[in-house]
Amino acid sequence: MIALSVDVVTKTIAGAWAWLFRGRRTRGEVVKQLYQIGNRSLLFVCVTLGFLGMVLVFQTCLQVNRITGDLSQVGAEFIKILVHEFGPSLTAMMLATRVGAGIAAEIGSMVVTEQIDALRMNGVDPVDYLIVPRFLASLVMTGVLTTIGVGAAVIMGALTAYYSFHLNPVVFLDPSHVRVGDLLTGIMKCAAYGAAVPIVAGICGLNARGGSEGVGTATTRAVISASFVVILLDFFLSGLALFTFQRGGL
Amino acid sequence: MIALTAVTKSFGARPLLAGVDLAIGRAETFGLIGTAGSGKSVLAKILCRLIAPDAGSVRVDAAQVGMLFQNNALFDFMTVGDNVAFPLVRQAQLHGEEIRARVAERLRAVGLAGSEEKYPNELSGGMKKRAALARAVIARPPVCIFDEPTAGLDPVTTSKIYDLLRAERDATGATVVVISSDVEALRSFAPRIGMLHDGRLRYDGDAGAIADSDDPVVRQFVRGALEGPL
Amino acid sequence: MKALQLAFEGLGSAALALFDEAGGMALLAWRVLVGLLTLKLDWRELVRSLYKMGVQSLPIVALTAFFTGGIMVIQSGIFIRRFGAYGLLGFGAGYATLREVGPILIGLMFSGRVGANNAAELGTMTVTEQLDGLRALAIEPIGFLIVPRVVAMMIALFCLVVLGNVVAIAGGALFGKLLLNVELSSFFHSFADNLKPWDLMIGLVKAAVFGLAISITSCHFGTSVKGGAVGVGRAVNNAVVAAAVAIMISDNLITMVLR
Repeated sequence: MIALSVDVVTKTIAGAWAWLFRGRRTRGEVVKQLYQIGNRSLLFVCVTLGFLGMVLVFQTCLQVNRITGDLSQVGAEFIKILVHEFGPSLTAMMLATRVGAGIAAEIGSMVVTEQIDALRMNGVDPVDYLIVPRFLASLVMTGVLTTIGVGAAVIMGALTAYYSFHLNPVVFLDPSHVRVGDLLTGIMKCAAYGAAVPIVAGICGLNARGGSEGVGTATTRAVISASFVVILLDFFLSGLALFTFQRGGL
Repeated sequence: MIALTAVTKSFGARPLLAGVDLAIGRAETFGLIGTAGSGKSVLAKILCRLIAPDAGSVRVDAAQVGMLFQNNALFDFMTVGDNVAFPLVRQAQLHGEEIRARVAERLRAVGLAGSEEKYPNELSGGMKKRAALARAVIARPPVCIFDEPTAGLDPVTTSKIYDLLRAERDATGATVVVISSDVEALRSFAPRIGMLHDGRLRYDGDAGAIADSDDPVVRQFVRGALEGPL
Repeated sequence: MKALQLAFEGLGSAALALFDEAGGMALLAWRVLVGLLTLKLDWRELVRSLYKMGVQSLPIVALTAFFTGGIMVIQSGIFIRRFGAYGLLGFGAGYATLREVGPILIGLMFSGRVGANNAAELGTMTVTEQLDGLRALAIEPIGFLIVPRVVAMMIALFCLVVLGNVVAIAGGALFGKLLLNVELSSFFHSFADNLKPWDLMIGLVKAAVFGLAISITSCHFGTSVKGGAVGVGRAVNNAVVAAAVAIMISDNLITMVLR
């Protein structure tokens, strides 16, 4: 299992490199995956991030009202933490379930119906053919979807602040607290999550054994493993950010 | 052409193949029978180099092996045409037009003319089997393995499939291994049959004489009798 | 013009599909309620499910909670450091964890572990016609399979969140000391002084509601599978997505109504 995982990771990175820099392309595969991941997760991400925005702003305004009563900084701080933490991480958790389950189910059912064997019989490496396009598409789409999700959260947050706490949207929509460090942290997280989810899900899919039950098991394992890897990466990258970007300057 | 020596394979604690010796010459046709779970498909995959044995040696003197999988294994995200063309696409020397022509010819030969644009889930069981057969042989591999080519098919379709296999074999002179539970139909196709049981080849010889074998296990299986060691 | 028409058609059919699934789930919830009230449930299945779902999720929930505590401490730390208000770390991290982030992340992990598994199991049973087999033996799947699982999931998630909270706070305190040099005593004091039992209660109410959401979605999609191995994978996918949306929506409702 460990040997397979390491093998998949190295092959995926090598394959992605070859795709990007040496022009070894499979006709239209990456574009198809961009659509699969992007279009079909768009509504899901917007809805969940929208509700997240509402809840976060509601809670924060409640607490701040109790302590100082000055809500003028809430919007700015909200946008800041959305950019470097909750935007990327919650989007990635959602994608870990949606995209992770999708990839594992697809690849898993190919394993149990021997289509993977048929690929290998024709000299095609399943990692190269199946996982690399999804890897590249996920890298791009995670960032795109996070950006859109952050937008949804900000809009819903602003509406909540206005309707529940009478906070002027102009005051709320204040991006001035967002520093370069925040943006860099957010981008780094999007890249890390975007890379990890398809690899983890692909490994789980390739390990599927045994008919429809096996596909179900593989899908389940993919969702948990991908979600947990996101949390783990979040912890380490946040810690990294704490000690580099957030020292008070950047 | 094919030589297996003392091939052993276990999954977990259970040994599935325990010392299989098999030699098949060029252009020979070999039929493999055995009870369900006796390891026939695993042996087939070892022949295709999809699985490596735990012990023993495998020699297959062919650069390419064509395999017809038990469940067809057609790629469900591609059209029938792309499926059948797949082995050719992997040999980059052929051009688009030539590939298209070969695919059309193959599909016609198996009675699926004009189905290039259909998807596998639009085909019936027999049609899927024929499409998978076309894919297995289109690159004219010197060794062909057909795993349960007629399982779940009605008697008429079974005869048609065996006709196609015969035509294919006679045209290309390939070395053929067929795995089947339908001993009767297999006997008229393969002059030599082997039975896999308890991890070894219990019988390996003339198809005509197999029903009169000395081995009670083999006799019972071939005759479908209720009484016996099985 | 054609594009607009296609867009409307797509939107319409998506909306119809949504209402279809939502209706199915509401119906299931109703039947579960009836089954509960008439006490028609298989107690052995309940205990078996409790064990499987609760005990087997323990490691992943504990790990999740541990790192969630760490993440919340880091995030609060980033904020607090700007104002030097280290004394507020226990409160800041604790409040967010108990009320929001704890139940949500543990809920999502539970959905991934137990919800997906449940959908897969029920899906396989549907595809292999085992549910029909049960009905042929005059055993009603609702009371026998579904109600015990719903109840078990609610109880299991509730207990897991309680435990998860403990681990998260402990983890938070640990990382507070390691990363931000906030003394454990200071952390726990600010935690205990500023947080009220109600903050904990809200988190637990959410846990129960999330448990209900996860169980109903997974049972619904599991029992309405069509189409073999691919169908099971798709059912798991839909179940997990629906559960995540349900979690976010109910989180909102509870926060806003209960404050």
